[in-house]
Amino acid sequence: MILETKNLTKTFGLRKAVNALNLEIPNGSVYGFLGPNGSGKSTTIRMMTALISPDQGEVLINGQSVQKLGNKALLSVGALIERADFHKHLSGETNLKMLARMDGTDESRVQVVLNRTGLGERGKDKVKTYSQGMKQRLGIAQAILSNPKLLILDEPTNGLDPQGMKEVRDLVRELAAEGITIFISSHLLDEVQKICSHVAMISQGELKTAGPIEVLLKNSDLLVTEIHVDPIAPAIKLLSTQSWIHRCEEKNGLLNVGVSHDKISDLIQLLVQNNLQVSAVIPRTSLEDVFLSKVGEESQI
Amino acid sequence: MLGLIQNELLIIIGRWRSYIGFIGISILMPLILWGFSVGGEELHQDYAKELGGTFMVVGSIINSFLATYVIMNTLWIHIPFLVTLAAGDSVAADGANGIFRITLTRSVSRFKILVSKLLASYIYTATLLIFCAFWSLGIGSFVLGTGDLIVINNGILILDESQAWVRMAFSFSLAIFVMCMVATLCFMFSTMVSNAVGPIIGTMFLIIIGYMIIGIPLEIFEKIEPYVFVKYFNVWWDAFKDPIPWGEIGKKLGILGIYLVVCFGIATYVFLKKDIKS
Repeated sequence: MILETKNLTKTFGLRKAVNALNLEIPNGSVYGFLGPNGSGKSTTIRMMTALISPDQGEVLINGQSVQKLGNKALLSVGALIERADFHKHLSGETNLKMLARMDGTDESRVQVVLNRTGLGERGKDKVKTYSQGMKQRLGIAQAILSNPKLLILDEPTNGLDPQGMKEVRDLVRELAAEGITIFISSHLLDEVQKICSHVAMISQGELKTAGPIEVLLKNSDLLVTEIHVDPIAPAIKLLSTQSWIHRCEEKNGLLNVGVSHDKISDLIQLLVQNNLQVSAVIPRTSLEDVFLSKVGEESQI
Repeated sequence: MLGLIQNELLIIIGRWRSYIGFIGISILMPLILWGFSVGGEELHQDYAKELGGTFMVVGSIINSFLATYVIMNTLWIHIPFLVTLAAGDSVAADGANGIFRITLTRSVSRFKILVSKLLASYIYTATLLIFCAFWSLGIGSFVLGTGDLIVINNGILILDESQAWVRMAFSFSLAIFVMCMVATLCFMFSTMVSNAVGPIIGTMFLIIIGYMIIGIPLEIFEKIEPYVFVKYFNVWWDAFKDPIPWGEIGKKLGILGIYLVVCFGIATYVFLKKDIKS
């Protein structure tokens, strides 16, 4: 494991922000970290990067304790925590050179990462002239400046327009393809599903589920299926009255139903018994469905 | 460490607030020097009256040394304020601007970052005082000329030109140490808050309260006076005494040094324990 948290706990006043959190992030994975607002994601990430001290437990990076070794344990880590903030009165290039000097990185890397993040031609401009998307790309540039083996990204697409989000997403994919382990928290469940190999979900500071996405989808209590049924309106009316149906709606002319695994045969039987013609049943469980079943519908991520 | 200090100096140089002190001195000093050159006759008369019974005064006693000696009174309030403008920003601004989310997640210890910030503040402080000396002594020498320095303070001390240069250099060195102590105090406050104004107000408040305590002749204040750091600020004046009171200077520097170390110790404790939540 490149990154582990063991019994990680942090309390702010009377509120337990993170409660006995155990995570294991395998080397080479792209690990999504999901949870509603205020669930403890940022606090966890800040404890991983030595910004916040835990009350109990520890973070291990390559087996080295962040709490015992302090920032020395972050030698192979690059991080972007929420919004990327820099010295606005200095250029992007100067900001990166300063960071390179801090940890002894060769300054020739500065131009490399500026080019890599599409800022090669704006490097000499002051940061205060950058758009939010450019600042976020500069944030990723600083995170990869020292050739990290582990990249920790906390909401890296926050505040970006769709184009900016796509650019960050593409960059994350490229970095993952190069073998960098990426731990990423994001609001965007469908994007996490697209780029991540593993995922952990937390709510109220506690781990709800974790593991490879494929396994989570397969083992989900809730099976979401798309059903070709004719006619569709009576089918919706019928299923809406059943207490064991979690969700029933029409999407693109298909019936989209959320139901427990053990009830799928009952569902088809019910439709057929009521003279509704079922021509196809396609499993379509998404990460969002798993999230909602584990964390609850009331949660807003 | 040198790289970290270089970074901090770049940050200070890049902030317009850092130039307020230099601009202020550049405006104030020519005015004072001009005042001495056109209105120095009155001061000359006062000095001549004091010396008249004992000495025969030939030429003018108004020169850059005397002007600098008078200008050094700005070290009580004005220069400390200018020093806090940079030291107050040092840690607090990085916290407020979210810079720590970038810098404190790198593989450099917080202690090293803190020390580099403090040393950069010291370099700024020393530069500001050297700039002040450059104006009052350097430019002052062209405007007012040089000569003997006559100090009237519990007696009359006349220092010839070569001695005056040495004493001035010594006095400014002592003043730099005192101002570094002020910078450390402000720096300590800067680790505790997330805006630069608080540390500046806090430091100036303590200095002014200190002056009040040592200035008001009440028994209760006299008891706590030895523990008030501003009581030892006048160490730079000891450079103009004859013989130079080395023991007294050593004692004052020692006490100020203890304050400096305690302030830095508190700043270190606070900064190392600080949770970066913003």
